[in-house]
Amino acid sequence: MSTSTVPAALERPRRSPLAYLVRFQSLLGLVIVIAAGIGFSPRRHGHILFLQTDNVANIIRSIAETGILALGMTFVIIAAGIDLSVGAVLGLCSVLTAELLVNEGWSLWTTLSLVVATGILFGAVQGFISTKARIQAFIVTLAGLQAARGLSLIASGNSFINISYGAGPGKAPVGFAILGERIGGVFPVATLVFLVLAALATFVLNNTRYGRYVFAVGGNEKAARLSGIPVEAVKISVYAITGLMAAVAGIVHAGQFSFGSPNDGTGYELNAIAAVVIGGTDLFGGAGSMVGTIAGAVMLGALANILELNDVSAALQLLATGAIIVMAAALQTFVNSGSGGR
Amino acid sequence: MKTLTLAAAALLTSTTLACAADGKPIYKDCGPNNDYVIGFSQANFKEPYREHVNHELERLVKQYPKFKLTIADGQASVNTQVSQVENFVTKQVDLLMISPFESAPLTPAVTNVIKKGIPVIELDRKTVGDDFTAFVGGDNRQIAKEAGQYAANTLLPDGGEVAILEGLPSSSPAIERLEGFKDGLADNAKLKLVAVQPVDWQEDKAVTVFGAMLQAHPDIKLVYTSNDLAAAGAYIAAKQAEKADQVKIIGTDGLPGPSGGIRSVADGQWAATFTYPTGAAEALDLAKKILIDCATSVPRNVMVPSQRIDQTNAKALYDKEQF
Repeated sequence: MSTSTVPAALERPRRSPLAYLVRFQSLLGLVIVIAAGIGFSPRRHGHILFLQTDNVANIIRSIAETGILALGMTFVIIAAGIDLSVGAVLGLCSVLTAELLVNEGWSLWTTLSLVVATGILFGAVQGFISTKARIQAFIVTLAGLQAARGLSLIASGNSFINISYGAGPGKAPVGFAILGERIGGVFPVATLVFLVLAALATFVLNNTRYGRYVFAVGGNEKAARLSGIPVEAVKISVYAITGLMAAVAGIVHAGQFSFGSPNDGTGYELNAIAAVVIGGTDLFGGAGSMVGTIAGAVMLGALANILELNDVSAALQLLATGAIIVMAAALQTFVNSGSGGR
Repeated sequence: MKTLTLAAAALLTSTTLACAADGKPIYKDCGPNNDYVIGFSQANFKEPYREHVNHELERLVKQYPKFKLTIADGQASVNTQVSQVENFVTKQVDLLMISPFESAPLTPAVTNVIKKGIPVIELDRKTVGDDFTAFVGGDNRQIAKEAGQYAANTLLPDGGEVAILEGLPSSSPAIERLEGFKDGLADNAKLKLVAVQPVDWQEDKAVTVFGAMLQAHPDIKLVYTSNDLAAAGAYIAAKQAEKADQVKIIGTDGLPGPSGGIRSVADGQWAATFTYPTGAAEALDLAKKILIDCATSVPRNVMVPSQRIDQTNAKALYDKEQF
């Protein structure tokens, strides 16, 4: 690492021109995908289907949940961790939301508070175990994934729960249905939730002392500890953040689809990690960008959309997504080795 | 397979007609001279049953030169499948066929398709409410109940220990098949249900889980599995425990082909399997009526019944199959 006199941990990572490319690779990728989308879009009566308002709204709706998960995942990965439990926690929280609103008759705000608290607690416990018992986060959150799926089966009594709206027992408050609606018939409310959280996450990561701590802990834990950063607290807190984001995503899921199922969110953690990697965040920690993650999530959604509009087969879609993830990671490794990194 | 489909078609039961009280065609751009794009949103491509439905549709659609069929993989995710339905609207398909991964979450998206004037034929599973043109499918609960009754009255009239390998817990077909089978078992009070475990429709899980069940309950005489793959796994486990002769296996799906359930019954590995009909032929016939014949109404619920495949008919059916 750096030998300068400034405590290494507090020094912002130095960037070569190539490193800037990595930092903005997902924005660049997004521009390329959108350009390709326009170029290859089917047309009807001269209109480019890809750019139609409804289609754009569909794209940004489809990425709302994985986008929210990816925001939290960015914190964890920058802090040199990983959280494999987010998809399962999303499932748990969607089930819990449906169960409390429909079967237990709880009010909207008590339900949401409890669900959010559950997510935060679940994440924090994983962070605590991983930090205090020095077990790799990969293992702890893998166990967390299983535990969350088990808990959601218990919470739901082994069943899915449909949410219907109205007054009286067995119905959820009408206001909750707003998560499935579109503002002005166009802009999905679920995406609005994502955007608000994205703005918040970007601010916290880039403009607060806490954000700098997260970078520092991920970059060089020892140096961070020596410069007085509460390393353990920071490490636990990032898992609390992924738990929080997974809870919100679970609430959005339940509201969007009027449904809670213990099987929901299966594999979402991988999509979230993909968005973060494409966004240029270093899987070894210490470097990354929230804007990159957001662009990465939108890019994956736009890519799936343009491939589908062109009737590209499901098999080729998976291959294309895989190829892009590898390219993003390869670019990063190339830059890291070029600038004398690890 | 053709025999099966025809037999099923002959038994078609339809109830109410899809409404079009004003006498207008269901699809306004219909007619014999146009070409049509049919989008099929399949819940996922993972399960062999769903692959089988895709193949049937692809094979049978060739009989309709005016139709072009596009199949999208919902990847067992309601979010992905909703996106795909939205994309079919963007692409302005002439007709949507859909097997919803789960009913309620897909309902708003399908309602939106109907609102755009695009007819919707639902296969295998309905959305909630009335916003679809027609439904073609089987009755999971009824099929499983028939399996339970067959076990209770024919396979084990003298009673014995019974086990169930459930599908993916909390998914609606898994729940319906589990409950239906238990209902059927109730016909014979001498049967004792000793173990129920989920295997998530997976063969490898079925091997492990049923292997353990046979350790804990060495006298199990019959196992009901919610799909053919799990039945195949149960057979492997029974063979490993040297109990293949003692344990009677009932599958569900009755898929054709060399690795399908019909062959396993024909080979004597399983006692029986119950077909879960694809409804592909019926769905395409409805599509023809709506798009080409400008029908003003079509049957709203087309229930395609299940067929029991057992030792009496499996061999004949397997030999007759065309690949």
